[in-house]
Amino acid sequence: MKRRGGMVLASAVTVAAALASTAGASSTAAAQTQGISCGSTLKVAMVAPFTGGAGFLGNQQLSWAKYAVKTLAPKLGLKVSLVTGDTPVEQGPAIAQTLAQKFVSDKSVVAVIGPSTSGAVAASSQTYFAAGMSHISESATRTDLTKGATREGTPAFFRVVPGDYIQGPTDARFMISKGAKNVVLFDFQEPYSQGLSDAAAAVLKAKGVTVTRLSVSNTTTDYSSFVTKVPSDADFVFFPTQKPGDAQNFAQQLIEQGKKAKVFGGDGSNDPTQFKVPGSYVSNFAPDISGITTDKAIIAGWKNANPGQSLGSFGPPTYLAVQVALQAIKYACVAGHGQLKNRAAVWANVKKVKIPVSILGGPFRFSTKSNDPLNATFYIFQIQSDGSYKLVS
Amino acid sequence: MRFRDRLAIRVDTFIQLTLNGLTLGSVYALIALGYSLVYGILKLLNFAHGDVFMVGTFIGFGALRLLGGSSSPVVPVWLLLTLMTLAAMGGCALLGVGIERFAYRPLRDAPRIAPLISALGVSFFIAYSMQLMFGADLKNYDTFSMDNGALYFKGFNIGSVRVDLIRIITIGAAFVMMILLWLLVTRTRLGKAMRATSHDREAAAMMGIDIDKVIVFAFVLGSALAGAAGVLFALRIPTYATIGFLIGLKGFTAAVIGGIGSIPGALAGGLVLGFAESYTQGYVSTRWSDLFVFLILILFLLFRPQGLLGKADIRKV
Repeated sequence: MKRRGGMVLASAVTVAAALASTAGASSTAAAQTQGISCGSTLKVAMVAPFTGGAGFLGNQQLSWAKYAVKTLAPKLGLKVSLVTGDTPVEQGPAIAQTLAQKFVSDKSVVAVIGPSTSGAVAASSQTYFAAGMSHISESATRTDLTKGATREGTPAFFRVVPGDYIQGPTDARFMISKGAKNVVLFDFQEPYSQGLSDAAAAVLKAKGVTVTRLSVSNTTTDYSSFVTKVPSDADFVFFPTQKPGDAQNFAQQLIEQGKKAKVFGGDGSNDPTQFKVPGSYVSNFAPDISGITTDKAIIAGWKNANPGQSLGSFGPPTYLAVQVALQAIKYACVAGHGQLKNRAAVWANVKKVKIPVSILGGPFRFSTKSNDPLNATFYIFQIQSDGSYKLVS
Repeated sequence: MRFRDRLAIRVDTFIQLTLNGLTLGSVYALIALGYSLVYGILKLLNFAHGDVFMVGTFIGFGALRLLGGSSSPVVPVWLLLTLMTLAAMGGCALLGVGIERFAYRPLRDAPRIAPLISALGVSFFIAYSMQLMFGADLKNYDTFSMDNGALYFKGFNIGSVRVDLIRIITIGAAFVMMILLWLLVTRTRLGKAMRATSHDREAAAMMGIDIDKVIVFAFVLGSALAGAAGVLFALRIPTYATIGFLIGLKGFTAAVIGGIGSIPGALAGGLVLGFAESYTQGYVSTRWSDLFVFLILILFLLFRPQGLLGKADIRKV
């Protein structure tokens, strides 16, 4: 009797589980097919690391996303609410996949800003693609997301910043322009840094620069032995970590061992609150917008909404990503006569967005060959003695 | 490049790696002492010890914040470092007492596997509680900002190798603490009670020694040293909530190499391990250093289980 009861219970659980899984699938399908009134409140999801080591980045981006929604949506006649999903880098990309499932199941979510990091895009792009949801990243720069035979991003993935295929060579050319003869390149045994160091090495070697490659696990925190391996006559150490605190630690240990090489970090090291050893360099996909005259009103408005916060360089591309998403929603609403047919209607309009004067300076549009911005560039900053970042190239 | 220049570079590299090993080894030695003290008295491998070390790094970080941070501390830097270390030692000593009281004492008469499993549970509990409370991100003491980088720019040179103030502080403080511990164990009544308990717990109890007090004191000492090691370590290297497990394992390896239960052995084991790790990273491969460290542990357990300075455990059968 007991055995029979157990079998009945097991069968019931199995049936319930099967029903639950099909319910999720059908709600996703429904979200794709049912129309949404453009007069209702539409949701735009934002996926970024709000906690953990890269939390500074996500919070900077969130403040700009909120500001963009608040100021731009009413101008376009849209009611938009921003919903967020946290992807701490320490938890790996799997959490981005879970969030993607959550957002595609919510019918009122019509577009996604982000994911912020390349790993999170790679983990979730397929899910968004299957749901017809465009996802527009403000900071995922890995080359493979939009290019190459092993492309990790789907056609529904867009980014408003250039990829690492521009960053690596830009950084290398800058080092050469500074007279580099001997450069040490690090990678952290993961695709982001390996891609950047490979790209930089190719340019450096072509110009006859002596290149030493060091590979380190991305869980390393004591770089003493690596620093010992840096030649005394090295001019630069290219250190594309995604943890700014590590760049600071490495630069400190270089000084500790009396090495004169300057640390050159990538966009992942760009955080004035953590990486502040004077003389070091960082590259980033966005400029310091405080010098762009057309941005004065936007900056003033943002500062008013975020008193006491520093401008940073990760936030403004988020404003642009939101602007692109809202504009695409508007185009889709107009085409649908006040009705948003489905999420794919938004996706179909993303590439049509052209912004004559973007927050990053100059006009913005997507390339016809990829979902990357046309003519985008990387910017190089040098850390000053007061810890501030000065644009040098 | 001339032969003489090449030789000079190699000598400098050797000195630098030795210095790296000495710095790392002195921290490992402090951690190993905690393992040795507890093992010597309770015959227990306290696998939560690495996490006590991690909590020490966090307490130091908290004290630093409370005292104004690294760039604008409200007290002079020497006092700041002292207070951070004392806070970490005090906090970790309390934590050690708590661990002993709630995780080990109830299992004192249980089979030896029970407190070992309890120790592993405590280790994960502490690490993930800290991660939940304080996040998973790196905590950097930012010692570079203290006194305009004086800790890095001041010091002396051996050849062209710089021995900066931060290394001098780390190595010096570790050795001073080890000497103080040695004096305490060999020259005080409490130390004598600890040695007696370590030698034969039942006989010591019959001679009127309060065993519970001695055990608690061993945890206090070991945990306080782990707290100090935490601050000394984190002065140079950022910390995070799950750092304790691997560092703790290395401290345990150092204790085994030196001879678990032996105080001079912990020092010797820590230094051997620090040098081995540093030379492997410098001359073989940075990827192989952990593999090499644990290979040493296995070799010692197989061929010299009593370690460098420990005594063989001979039992009458």
